[in-house]
Amino acid sequence: MKGKKLLKEIKAQRVLYLLLLPTLLYFILFRVLPIINMRLAFFQFRARGNWPFVGLKYFEMIFSSPAFAQILANTLIISFMKYVLLFPGFVLFALMLNEVRSFRFRKYVQVVSYLPHFLSWVVIAGIWINALSLAGSVNQIVIFFGGDAVDFMTDRTKIRWILMICEAWRSLGWDSIIFYTAILSISPSLYEAAQIDGASRLQIIKSIILPALITPMITMFILNLGFFLNAGFDQVFNFSNQAVESTIDILDTYIYRIGIEGGQYSLATAVSLIKGLVGVVLVYTTHIFSKKMTGSGVW
Amino acid sequence: MRSRKRVSVSQLVLVLFLFFVTLTMLVPLLNILAKSLSTPSESVLMGGLSILPRQLDLLNYRIVFSHPILVPSLINSLIITLVGTAVNIVLTTTAAYALTRPRLALKRPIMVFLIIMMLFDPGLVPEYLVVQKLGLMGSKWSVILVTAVNVYYLIIMMRYFEKVPQSIVEAATIDGASHLQMLGHIFYPLSKAGVATITMFYAVVRWNEYFRAGIYLTRKSTDTVLQVVLRQFVVLGDTVSILGQQNVFDYNALARADYSALKGATIIVAIIPILILYPFVLRFYAKDVLSGGIKE
Repeated sequence: MKGKKLLKEIKAQRVLYLLLLPTLLYFILFRVLPIINMRLAFFQFRARGNWPFVGLKYFEMIFSSPAFAQILANTLIISFMKYVLLFPGFVLFALMLNEVRSFRFRKYVQVVSYLPHFLSWVVIAGIWINALSLAGSVNQIVIFFGGDAVDFMTDRTKIRWILMICEAWRSLGWDSIIFYTAILSISPSLYEAAQIDGASRLQIIKSIILPALITPMITMFILNLGFFLNAGFDQVFNFSNQAVESTIDILDTYIYRIGIEGGQYSLATAVSLIKGLVGVVLVYTTHIFSKKMTGSGVW
Repeated sequence: MRSRKRVSVSQLVLVLFLFFVTLTMLVPLLNILAKSLSTPSESVLMGGLSILPRQLDLLNYRIVFSHPILVPSLINSLIITLVGTAVNIVLTTTAAYALTRPRLALKRPIMVFLIIMMLFDPGLVPEYLVVQKLGLMGSKWSVILVTAVNVYYLIIMMRYFEKVPQSIVEAATIDGASHLQMLGHIFYPLSKAGVATITMFYAVVRWNEYFRAGIYLTRKSTDTVLQVVLRQFVVLGDTVSILGQQNVFDYNALARADYSALKGATIIVAIIPILILYPFVLRFYAKDVLSGGIKE
């Protein structure tokens, strides 16, 4: 009976479903079909004919491989640097911007600092490789202060820091918008009251601005944890070279290399499956946590 | 008066620091622009901190705009960006409209489905095999269709459509407006900022796309997009296949160009569409933060 009623309702709203159809079709073709293809993690790939079942063979290969352990470690370290170490930077940037008295200078900083977020990773890599080369601007400054030129991009001890600093360069402005918005939405009456009480600027920051930032800070921080397995494919893919690959190779670049370049479809799919499942659990848990604590989640 | 007030030391330090931060963003771009506009014999001598061109010369841009691989890749990029963004907008807005109608029967299960689709990433190889099976390899449709809807932007669009006053929708329903008329005459005009915002975001992503194009559009060297050629040239440092083996061998004018300035010119060409879109992004998306006030 219930099914019949539903069918009748769908029929009555058929135009709406027709409008939804292309989008649903897209997800079925390019998301659901790939998900079905993920069974490949348990089968041996053959271009023609059936795929023979091999059980957990590829998972055993992955978990007994020292290379995989290194790649997982790299992923977690780079994620930690970007999502945890860099985190206070975004809050600080919003605070500093808010302290600038000249409205025009503030606007100038915003317009310039939001721009890198919109450049492609290829362009960003091009700019950074150029700036960090032996004859680049950074080494020019190093030499000016009496140092020796360093080939930064092939220096294994520095490359992770370069990734982190570049991430800051790209998203300091744009990603601090959420904190800046929170500061702007503080009621002016709070400032007035503080002024009457004779509070100093630092006291105002401590007792009015920072408390207003706590909620977005918790939300952002928890949500970042959900993306810990995504250490930034595009950045590593474009910043990597033979000399530093072993220190910055992450899950996604590994999947690309063994899958698309190496043609080991099953093995790459097995890594994707692990990453996908852990990723869903991480994002979903952090979403629930964030909803509980601050009322806003990933969606 | 505020302007006559003594500038405090802390304010000065703050402004200088932020100015330095913006310089790290501006100087590299201006340096690339200056080098690309200078004559090769001068541009090779320019360091990374010079931001003014020496002996204005458009040679690098003449090479870029007559190049047998760069020109078709530029055209491909434009086609994929235009058609791709159009596909994005049509699908996203129609779906957002349907999903915000209050009495849609299967709304909840469909939303749950979409969120699962957003959260679970099937990975590269499973998607690659689907594109292969659908016969899209080498076709621009591969890149266009694979990223046809972004669930985040769909949800943003739904938020905008939810704000359309119910009274207007009811009045239009009484007047007998069809769903398409409703979308075209009421929802688009009343959510202009929303549609503009997601159009900008989609267009930027489309233009900057290099990864899938690099995997799916590999049949001919002229099939690919600008970002892929740029990556090969600038990131991987492959000058030979960009300049052409014969030119390098002959050591003619093209081979004698300053490679790093030529790379710069290619980067500038890849940035220009972004710079054209950027003011609109600021106007529609970051308007409130830029004006220093939040309206709720």
